[in-house]
Amino acid sequence: MQRKVTAVHPDDTVEEVVKLMLEKKTNGTVVVDDENNVVGILSSWDIVQHIVPDYLETDSNLAAFEAADVFCKRTKEVAQDPVSLMMTTKVRTAKEDDTLIHALTLLAKFHIRQLPVVDEHNHLIGYINRTDIKRAVGDVLREDTH
Amino acid sequence: MFTTALILFGLSFLFIITEKVHRTVAALTGAALMVLLGVISQDRALEGVDFNTIGLLIGMMVLVGIAKHSGMFQAMALYIVKKARGNPMAVYILLGLLVMIFSALLDNVTTVLLLVPVIMVITNNLNVSPYPYLVSTILLSNIGGAMTLIGDPPNILIGSAAHLSFNDFLIHLLPVCVIIAVVTIFGLVLVYKKDFVTTKEARASVLKFSPREAITDMPLLKHSLIAIGVVIVGFLTHDLTGLDGATIALSGAALLLVLSLRDPEDHLKDVEWPTIFFFVGLFILVTGIEEVGIIDGIAHYILQKIGSDGFMLAQVILWGSAFMSAIVDNIPFVTAMIPLITEINAAGNMPENVLWWSLALGADIGGNATLVGASANVIVAGLAKKENQHMSFLGYMKVALPFTMVALVISSIYIAIRYF
Repeated sequence: MQRKVTAVHPDDTVEEVVKLMLEKKTNGTVVVDDENNVVGILSSWDIVQHIVPDYLETDSNLAAFEAADVFCKRTKEVAQDPVSLMMTTKVRTAKEDDTLIHALTLLAKFHIRQLPVVDEHNHLIGYINRTDIKRAVGDVLREDTH
Repeated sequence: MFTTALILFGLSFLFIITEKVHRTVAALTGAALMVLLGVISQDRALEGVDFNTIGLLIGMMVLVGIAKHSGMFQAMALYIVKKARGNPMAVYILLGLLVMIFSALLDNVTTVLLLVPVIMVITNNLNVSPYPYLVSTILLSNIGGAMTLIGDPPNILIGSAAHLSFNDFLIHLLPVCVIIAVVTIFGLVLVYKKDFVTTKEARASVLKFSPREAITDMPLLKHSLIAIGVVIVGFLTHDLTGLDGATIALSGAALLLVLSLRDPEDHLKDVEWPTIFFFVGLFILVTGIEEVGIIDGIAHYILQKIGSDGFMLAQVILWGSAFMSAIVDNIPFVTAMIPLITEINAAGNMPENVLWWSLALGADIGGNATLVGASANVIVAGLAKKENQHMSFLGYMKVALPFTMVALVISSIYIAIRYF
């Protein structure tokens, strides 16, 4: 688990979050409210979906015909939109003393890439991502070879 | 029983119109209570359901539901835009006509769901505001829907109840709808002519379109064209074959399933079952008030008040149904009007189905007046809002109401000249 979590607030804008993601070189952030309660997950995927106009999502074949400047226009249009508009609100979380297999099952079952770790009051205390899982797998395999 | 039927009908309609509960739930609950409280027997309730309308709706929903995956409707829109060489006014006129033709053959909601995304893409390429194009989409979809038996649910209901064929609709409603469409398109061009300004570069981007790329499934496109062609021929030859709408549409759906060898499970799920059950509920509700003599009473009251003057009745029905359709869903309104007009027709001596044509024109075209007048309007406004094109209730009405009034005046004159 990583203790240093990239967390954002539901009122933060797309522009602020993208800047933060680029700085921290991450594709996923946890959304927490003023009391540090986990209220959502925001990945770069959610931002991509927010930029693509709904009419192209329903009729993706039309994307080949769309004007080239629509990307710039849309990006500027949504730049000040708050994170709360596009974050995933159904958040799966793990507790600090949960077993790894429990956490992995959540990742596998719900096809998620990151898992916030919370205390008993739903306050964010850490974060598990795919790198952490790879490290754990690596540790197990090394133990076997020794 | 009289009071029970009246209360059940009134409450159900109140819930349907105010949308306090889902319209299907309101209609089905009212229908169930009509039987449970003994207003009508189950046998009578089922007799009241017009299975020809139900079959026709399901058949067309399956057929169009499969055909739309071929991308052909989008490809046609892109093709005509290319043919118009990206001239915004020509594109405007041709897209309006395309919306009208699609709406005459498909239902209006499907038409706007298919064409609004294409319109957004085209207007983005031309760098013009999509707003005028969206207003024209709404107006022309309701006008196109009025043209044919299968264009708009009120026409299906009327055609089925009054035994009017596809050709009857073409002969009686197509001419007046074409006049209305031409007047509407040119009127809209005058209103929005300032918006039709684009650049050479923007026009060039449209000329680069390759509409074939919008076709996602060529074999499906061919199969869909065959099935749709067979259905249209089926409708056109009704007078020779005597086949009813449900048989033709369901056969077309079956043919497309056979040709494309598609798993029916997903496509049958695509049928708008809430709409189908809404119709079933409505039919039973109307049968309830018909059974206790309410419809009969109203028919006699109208005949007493207005007399059996066909001209006057036709005009009252045209303008009255237009007014009602502008504010409430035209499906429940027409369902309730059908037995009433059947009674009036039986009592008075009306020329050549004129009351049916008045009802269809009023109910279909009246829906244009407001943003809530028809399902297609609500859907276009919803799609527009997502793309920051806010269509306000009053802003839309300022343009649409005068056009609706003109269309109704044209209908009024048409009825006067043609039938009296």
